[in-house]
Amino acid sequence: MTTSAILQAINGASLAALLFLLASGFTLSFGLMRVVNMAHGAYYLLGGYVGLTVVRITGSFWLAIFAGGAAIALLGLFIDRVLIRRTGENHLAQVLLTVGIAFVIGDLALWTWGGDNLKVPVPMFLRGAVELPGGIVYPAFRLMLIGIGLVVALLLWLLYHKTQLGAVVRAGVDDREMVAANGIHVDRLFMVVSALASFLAGMAGVVGGAFLTLYPGAEWEILVFALVVVIVGGLGSLEGAMIGALIVGLLDAYGRWLLPEFSYFVLFGPMAILMLFRPTGLFGKAH
Amino acid sequence: MDRKLAIVLALVCVAIAALLPLVAGPFWIALLTQMFIFGLLALSVDLLLGHAGLFSLCHAAFFSVAAYTTAILQVRYGVSTALAAPAGIVAGTLLGMLFGLSVRTRGVYFILITIALGYIVWGVAYRWSSFTGGDNGVTNVPRPALAGYGLESMTSYYYFMLAVIVLSLLAYRVLVSSPFGLTLRGIKTSESRMTSVGFRPNRHLYAAFVLSAAIASFAGVLYVYYNRFVNPVSASFPISVEAVLMAIVGGSGTIVGPLLGSGIVLALRNWVSSFFELHAAVMGLVFIAVVLWAPGGLVGLLESFRNGRRPGR
Repeated sequence: MTTSAILQAINGASLAALLFLLASGFTLSFGLMRVVNMAHGAYYLLGGYVGLTVVRITGSFWLAIFAGGAAIALLGLFIDRVLIRRTGENHLAQVLLTVGIAFVIGDLALWTWGGDNLKVPVPMFLRGAVELPGGIVYPAFRLMLIGIGLVVALLLWLLYHKTQLGAVVRAGVDDREMVAANGIHVDRLFMVVSALASFLAGMAGVVGGAFLTLYPGAEWEILVFALVVVIVGGLGSLEGAMIGALIVGLLDAYGRWLLPEFSYFVLFGPMAILMLFRPTGLFGKAH
Repeated sequence: MDRKLAIVLALVCVAIAALLPLVAGPFWIALLTQMFIFGLLALSVDLLLGHAGLFSLCHAAFFSVAAYTTAILQVRYGVSTALAAPAGIVAGTLLGMLFGLSVRTRGVYFILITIALGYIVWGVAYRWSSFTGGDNGVTNVPRPALAGYGLESMTSYYYFMLAVIVLSLLAYRVLVSSPFGLTLRGIKTSESRMTSVGFRPNRHLYAAFVLSAAIASFAGVLYVYYNRFVNPVSASFPISVEAVLMAIVGGSGTIVGPLLGSGIVLALRNWVSSFFELHAAVMGLVFIAVVLWAPGGLVGLLESFRNGRRPGR
């Protein structure tokens, strides 16, 4: 019983790591640019497929992570500049537009990579299991995923709180006009954040594709999890995305274990209750 | 539009629809029946979107809960249509009373929360397979029979749906031009002003949400009797999105817009999928095009042409 409980905690943490990669980009885009990008899940899926193809060609998983991220960063930047920009701050239009973009990406991916569940192959040394203290045996790859999540979280936190760029982004989240009035090139700032958010989504697709597999429809499933993370954590808050990812990851793991048929309920029920008392999430500010 | 012209136009449309089964084949009858059913769903979404300014993405939840309730009662418990159909509407409406609490939020939060809520229903339909039948859903739903009169053929169901949609549109017209409808539009235009003149926006929005869920549930019951099975697809996010797309393509905030939009979207999908594999991508492009170039939908385009203006963004 305790062993299972611990195993589920690690399961939850590995899902949390993946969700953080996705939710952090979503939440930063919203915080700074007021953009709600429903294509974020499609970015994840497409990034995963790109990574899969790169692994098949080059055999390098690490190159695949980078390639998946880079390809999506370019695509995300393009979509942001050419399409999303034109909706201004109309969230309704943004949601419809980006859902449309997600449909196009999803269908093209289905056409290119087919409808089967595909798994991104991981390097040999990550394929086995690792024995943890207390006699718990756990897949090495998932442990590494937790590591990736922690490293990215740390890097993002440092970038956000300890660098000039981060300071400008934080200022931009609070008051964009004021930042522009101080002579900061806001447009360039948007490009950086937009590319970073897309990069994280593409990268998440490659690592996610190695343990959740890639299939048509995965883009919406993962997007909904990421949405719950940002709703719980609060839109626009990096810390919120961290805590939210952990809460959602753990709720999902324990929900699947204890109440398999109602695991969605275990996940969304607390979210609904939280939303009634604190609509802006744990760390969010009213926008 | 001229009131007399509108009435004449509406009567002509109904007359054409009534005479259509004499000339059109089963394909067209089926397509029009679907257009009526999904038009009703789009109408329910547009009560919130076009009149109250709330963008809900969870209406597949009410639609499918009603469809599942009716199907399970009819198939598994042998309950008659006269009880199973109202039970379906009640079930969907009750869910609407629960999900309606989300009207405490606005804007982006409302959108995101409704998406997440909608997924609960999909998740339960998909995973609680001992009750919902999982992926296969509930099959062999009988044709409806009311007061000894069965709607056995496609044509009889078509006429039934035609009557339903005409009555629904008339009732909807009364609803949106009632003081309640005007209050909703007031809230959409300026919530703070409505609050300052003594209205409580959340109460009106909650009522609109529940009413909208009831209409979506009604559409769900009509759908399950037409389709004769229901599976988790009917609860899925794309259905909620498509209902919104229909409302916007036709013309959000109008009375016939959602119905027209339903016809356009269904016809387009049927037509495209007959020769092109990537029909979901085409639907995606329609979304993009509508948002960028025709946010007023078909009705908006027609009106701006009538007024001699370019369709504005």
